[in-house]
Amino acid sequence: MLATDFMAFHEASRRNGIILSFGGDLSENVLFSLGEVLKLRMQQGATDAAVSKRVFSVFVEQAQNIIRYSADKLVPPGSPAGGLVSAGLIVVGVEGGRFFVACGNEVPGEHVTGLRARLDHIAGLSGDELRKYYRERLRQPADEGSLGGSIGLIEIARRASAPVEYDFQARGDDRCFFCLKAFI
Amino acid sequence: MDRIQIPATSRSPLVDFDFAAGHLLLRGESYPEDAAAFYGPLLRSLRAYLEDGATPLTFDVALSYFNSSSAKALMNLFMPLEDAAQEGRPVTIRWLYAEGDDTIAEAGEDFAADFSHARFEMVQETAA
Repeated sequence: MLATDFMAFHEASRRNGIILSFGGDLSENVLFSLGEVLKLRMQQGATDAAVSKRVFSVFVEQAQNIIRYSADKLVPPGSPAGGLVSAGLIVVGVEGGRFFVACGNEVPGEHVTGLRARLDHIAGLSGDELRKYYRERLRQPADEGSLGGSIGLIEIARRASAPVEYDFQARGDDRCFFCLKAFI
Repeated sequence: MDRIQIPATSRSPLVDFDFAAGHLLLRGESYPEDAAAFYGPLLRSLRAYLEDGATPLTFDVALSYFNSSSAKALMNLFMPLEDAAQEGRPVTIRWLYAEGDDTIAEAGEDFAADFSHARFEMVQETAA
C-alpha cells in the first residue's frame, strides 16, 4: 500500500509537470536550499538564462511571502525576519511549455480584504503600469506589518507572462487559505 | 568613517564601502535572510559619512540578482546620495550589469529615473 500510494503521488506530480514541490515548515535556509536545486534543475534542462532568472525571482518572492505572512508560524511573529519559520506549500512546474510557480498558505481572515484588493489592482495593470507602480512603491515607506519592501507581489506580477492567478478558500475559522500562481 | 568590508556569501553581495577613498561597492547576489539587518548598518554608516564634507563619491552597484526587499534597501541607500548631490557633493552611481541581462539593465533604468542631481551611469560589463 505504502509504495502504491507514494508512487501514485509521485507519478501525479510528474504528470503535472512538477519539478519541485515543498509542503511544510519553510525557513530562509530551506528557501535557499530549494532555490539552489531549482537553479540546478533549470541549468540541466538548458532553460533560457533570462527565463531561469525570472522563475528564480518569483520563487524567492513567493517563498519569502510564506515565511513572512503565513498565519501558521512555527517560530512566532516578532522574531527577526531571518529567523521566521512558517508553514505553506510551494510548487514549481512546467505546464503547456511554460514554467509556473504556485504557493499556498494560511492567512489571518482579517488580512483577506486588503490582500485581495492589492492583488485585484496588480492583476489589472499592464506591463508598463506595473513598472510604474513598482517604482512608486519603491519610493514609499513599507506598509505597516510588512517585513520586506511591500513590493514582492508587484515583482511577481512583473516577472509573470500572464496576469497572476489567486484564490482564497474560507476554512470556517479565523483563517483563510490563500493561493497564488504565476506563469513565467 | 571606517571602511566597511564584508565578503560575499551565496545570497549576499560583497560590500566594500571605502569612505576615505570616496568609493562604495556592492557586487554579487542579494537576497539576504533579513535585508533590513544586512543593509541597515550600511545605511546608517552612509548617512553618518554624508553629514560631513563634500568629497566626491562613486557608488558601484554590480548586482546580478536582488529580491524585492533588497530593491527597497537599495532605494534607501540611493535617496541620501541624491540629497547629498543636491546639496553640492559630486555623486556618481555606476550601475553595472552583464551584457544581455535585460532584467538588471531595466532595474537600473528604473532607479536612474529617480536621480536628477547625482549622476547615474549604466555600465555594461562584458563576460570575462
